[in-house]
Amino acid sequence: MLFRRLEPVRGWLERRALWLTALVTTGVLAVMLYLPVGVVFVEAVLVDGTPTLDHFADVLTDPFYFGFLADVIADPLTVGTHLGALAGWLAGVSISVSLEYPVPGVGVPIPWLGLETPGVRMGLFGFTAYQAALSTVASVALGLPAAYVLANYEFRGRRTLRSLTILPFVLPGIMVAVGFYAMFGRAGTLNTIFGLAGIGPFAFVEANPLAIVILAHAFYNAPLVARITVAAWESVDRRAVETARSLGASERRAFRDVVVPQLAPAVLTGALLTFIFTFMTFPIVLALGGLQLATVEVWIYDRVQRLDYAEAATLAILETILSLGLTYAYLRYESARSGFARTSASRSVEPLFPDLRTAFTPKRLGVLAYGLVALVVFVGPVASLVVGSVTDGGGFTLRNYAFLLERQLEGATFQTRPLPAIRNSLLFGVATLLIAVPMGVTVSVLTARAGRAGTVVDALAMLPLAVSGIVFGIGLLQGLVFGIPLPGGWRFQVTGAVAIVVAHAVAAYPFVTRNVSPLLSSLDRAMVESARALGASRYRALVDVELPLIASGVVAGAAFAFAISIGEFSSTVILAGGSESYTMPVAVERYLGRRSGPALAMGTLLLVVTAASFVVVDRVGGRYEP
Amino acid sequence: MTELRLEGVSKRYGSAEGGTSALTGIDLTVRDGEFFTLVGPSGCGKTTTLRTIAGFEVPTEGTVSFDGEPITDIPPEGRDVGVVFQSYALFPHMSVAENVGYGLQFRDPPTGTTVDERVSELLDLVDLSGMGERSPDQLSGGQRQRVALARALAPEPDLLLLDEPMSALDARLRESLRLQLKRIQSELAITTVYVTHDQEEALAISDRLAVMRDGELEQVGRPQEIYREPATRFVAEFVGDNNVLDGVVRDSEVLPSGRKRGRTRVDVGDTAFELEGVSEDARRVSFCVRPDSLSREADRNRFTVDVETTEFLGESVRAHGNWNDIPVVLRLEEVPDDTVTVGFAPDDVHVVERW
Repeated sequence: MLFRRLEPVRGWLERRALWLTALVTTGVLAVMLYLPVGVVFVEAVLVDGTPTLDHFADVLTDPFYFGFLADVIADPLTVGTHLGALAGWLAGVSISVSLEYPVPGVGVPIPWLGLETPGVRMGLFGFTAYQAALSTVASVALGLPAAYVLANYEFRGRRTLRSLTILPFVLPGIMVAVGFYAMFGRAGTLNTIFGLAGIGPFAFVEANPLAIVILAHAFYNAPLVARITVAAWESVDRRAVETARSLGASERRAFRDVVVPQLAPAVLTGALLTFIFTFMTFPIVLALGGLQLATVEVWIYDRVQRLDYAEAATLAILETILSLGLTYAYLRYESARSGFARTSASRSVEPLFPDLRTAFTPKRLGVLAYGLVALVVFVGPVASLVVGSVTDGGGFTLRNYAFLLERQLEGATFQTRPLPAIRNSLLFGVATLLIAVPMGVTVSVLTARAGRAGTVVDALAMLPLAVSGIVFGIGLLQGLVFGIPLPGGWRFQVTGAVAIVVAHAVAAYPFVTRNVSPLLSSLDRAMVESARALGASRYRALVDVELPLIASGVVAGAAFAFAISIGEFSSTVILAGGSESYTMPVAVERYLGRRSGPALAMGTLLLVVTAASFVVVDRVGGRYEP
Repeated sequence: MTELRLEGVSKRYGSAEGGTSALTGIDLTVRDGEFFTLVGPSGCGKTTTLRTIAGFEVPTEGTVSFDGEPITDIPPEGRDVGVVFQSYALFPHMSVAENVGYGLQFRDPPTGTTVDERVSELLDLVDLSGMGERSPDQLSGGQRQRVALARALAPEPDLLLLDEPMSALDARLRESLRLQLKRIQSELAITTVYVTHDQEEALAISDRLAVMRDGELEQVGRPQEIYREPATRFVAEFVGDNNVLDGVVRDSEVLPSGRKRGRTRVDVGDTAFELEGVSEDARRVSFCVRPDSLSREADRNRFTVDVETTEFLGESVRAHGNWNDIPVVLRLEEVPDDTVTVGFAPDDVHVVERW
C-alpha cells in the first residue's frame, strides 16, 4: 500500500482552500454588498430610531408612484369599485384604422392600426415598467436578426463581430447618452446626412425622447439578446433539423418545430435580463429624457440630491424587491433550461454573400436592410462620438485632444487629468478581475456542489444583478464612506481605491459565475474522479482538471469583470468623491460642461481602451474556445 | 499484490428509512491477481460497487479492505487504484503523454525509471508508441481507451478498476481490445475488477465473475460454473441464451423410458420429461436447457416448437419460437421449417429452483 505523505500544512491548506476562498468571498459580500443594502433598508424603516412601515404605506398608496394601483393597494377590499373602474376603462377603448405617414417628409402611406385608450395613470413604477417593456420589445426585435445572421452565415469578421456584441453592454451609460446626442441630436450625424439630401433637420430627441431612450436601451441590450440567442442557435444540432425534414416537415415547419423551441428559452432569458436592466435604468434616461421621463431610479437619484434619504431608501427597497423577484425568476428559469443537452452539434453555415448573383435574394436583401438599421443604431452613436471629438462646427480639429493634453501637463492637482483617469481605470480593472474571478469561480463551484440548495446560494450571490447602481451607491455612501460607528469610538470606514475596486468586484463577479457555471455543470464527472484515483487531492483535481477546462468561461468572465470595472459609473462617482481615484467614465462626466468636445474626446479614449482590452482578451481567450 | 475484500457493504441514498437502497450486504473477495467481473442489468448496483471500491462512494455500512487493511474511509487519492471509465475521461487539455504521466506526480514511478521512461513504457504496452505528443481529440475511440488504460496503470496501482470500458466501441474493436486487456492484465498480474452489462464479455474475459441484481449478488463463480450451473432463474436467463421450464415432479416409477436410476419424471403442462439430478423431495422445479443441448437428433424429451424468427450467425442458426406458449430459443445447423421437433438428454438440464 502506498499512502502519499503530504507536508502537513500544505495539505491542510489544500484541503481547505475551497472553504477559505468561500469564507473570503462571503466576507467581501457581507461588507461590500449586504451591509450597504442593509443600511439602505434600515434607512427606510427607521424614523428617529423607531421601526415603522409608514414610508412604505405612503409610497404604495400614492398615485404618483403607483398610479391607479395605489387606490387598489390603499383599499384592496372594495372589489366592486375597482371592477367598476376597470369596466369604465374598457368601455373607453376604441380601435381604428387610418392611413399614416410615419416617415417625415416622405409621402409613403402606411395603414396604421390605432388603439385609443382612455388615459391610464401608470405612476412612476408603472411608467418604469412600461418603458422597460417597450425597451425589451425593441431589444428583442433588433437582437434576433443579428443572432440569425451571426449563427447562420459565415463571413469575414463574424467572430470579431460576435465578440464585439459584448462591447455596448460595458460602455458607460453617460458615454452612450453623449453618443446618442451626437448621432440623433439637432446638429447630429443623422441630420447632417439628411442635410446632404436636402431634408431636415429633424428634432428627433425633442420630438420623442421616449423613443430615443428606448433606442438607447436597445443599443445596450439587443447585443445581449443576440449573444445569448446565438449561443443557443449554434448548439442546435443540424441532425435534428435534418431528421424533421426527412420525416416530412418543410423547411419552415422544421424551423418552427425544432429550432424555435430550442431558441425560445434563450430569447426569453435575454428578454428577462433586458427587462431587469432597463427597469433599473439611470444615466440614459437622466441624460436623454430628464425628469420628464423619470424612472424609479432617476427619481431616487433626484431624492438623494435633495437629501431626502428616507424616501429614496423606501423607493430603493421597493425597486430592489421587484428586481430581486425578476432576478429570481430568471435564475429559476435558467436552471430549468440547463437540462438542454449541450452536445457538440454539427452546424451548417453558409457564406453570407457567396457571389453577386445570389446577393439580391429577398433573404439577403433583408439582411442588408437590417445591416443598415444596425449601422444607424449601433455604429452611429459610437462613430458620432469619435467623429464629434475631432470635428468642430466646420471641420477637422484636434482642439479637444489638445485640451486634454494641456490639462494633463498644466492642470492643477484638484483638476481632473486624463492620464490618472486612464491609469486608475486600468489599475482598478485588473484589480477587479483579480478579485472577481476567484469569487465568481468559488460561487460556481459551490453552486455546482450544493445540488438542490444551489439555487438559493445562486440567488443570494446574484444579488448584485438585482441591486441597481444607485441603491448600491447610496448604501456605500451611507454605510462605508460616512463610516459605521463601532463600539469603543472606532469607525468602520472604507473609501478610495480599495472601496472602488471591491465595489467593482462585487458588481462584476456574477458575470464570472454566469460564464463558468454552465461549463462546470457540463463537465464529465469521471474526469475529476480519474484525477483523484490517480492520486490528486480534490483541490489538485480542481486546479489540474476543472480549471483548465472551464478556462474559456473564466476568461470570458474575466473580460466581463474588467469591462464592467472600466465602465462602472454610479458607485464609482460616489466613492471617488473629491479624491484622486477617479476613473475614465467619471472624467467624462466631469468634462461634460458647456462644450461637449472634451467629454467626447475623453469618451473616445475610453472607447479605445475598452475596445483594445477586448481585442487582447479575444486573442488570449480564443485559445480554448471550441 | 492485492486481495480485495468487501464485507457487508450496503449503500443507501437519502434517509435511512425513506431512501433508496443501491447495495445490500455485499460480501465479496477478489483474489490477488484475479480478473474479476461484476455483471448485471443496468441499475443492478455493479457501478456503485466499483465506485465504492475506488472510494468515490462511501458505503452506508460495511467495510472495504485491501490485503486485510480496511480503507473504507480513505479518499480515492489515498487508495492507489487505477480507474478506467466508459467515457475515457481523458483530460482534453493535456497531451497523451501528459495524461499518462499525470498520476506520476503523486506516486513515484517504479524505482530506476524516470517519469518519461515510465510513460513511454506504458505507451509501448498499449501499442501507442510515439503517440505521446498527440492530443486526445486526435485519437480514435479505441486509442483513447488504451490511453485511459495506460494512464490508470502508470503509477502501478494495487488494483485496476474498469467501468464499462468497452461499451462505446464497435463490436470488432471491442473483441480485439478485450484480448489486449486480458493479455496486459495477466502480464502484470494485477488484481482487476471489471464492470459490464454484457454477459458474453463477462464470460469471455473473467477468471471469476459475480452476477448482480437489485443491489445484491446473485451468484459468484468461474464462467463455466455460472454458465452451466446457474444458481438462480435470473442468472440462468441473464447469462447466455437459455430455456427455463417450470414443471411438476411426478412419481419416478412411471418414466416414459422405463425405470432408470436417478431419473425423475417432470411434467411441463401435459408433456412428460425425464430429467436427471432432481432431488426426491421437490414437488415443483424450474429447470433450464441451453439451446445447444436441444437437438433434432436427440431421442428423449422431444417436443415440437413453432418457429417465429431465425438469425443466421455463420456457423449456426439461432431460432426463436414457442412451445405451448413458452418462449424457446434453439441453436441449429440449418434454417428450420415452420416447426421443428427437438429433444434433449436427461442429464443436459440444470435445476435452478425447487419447491
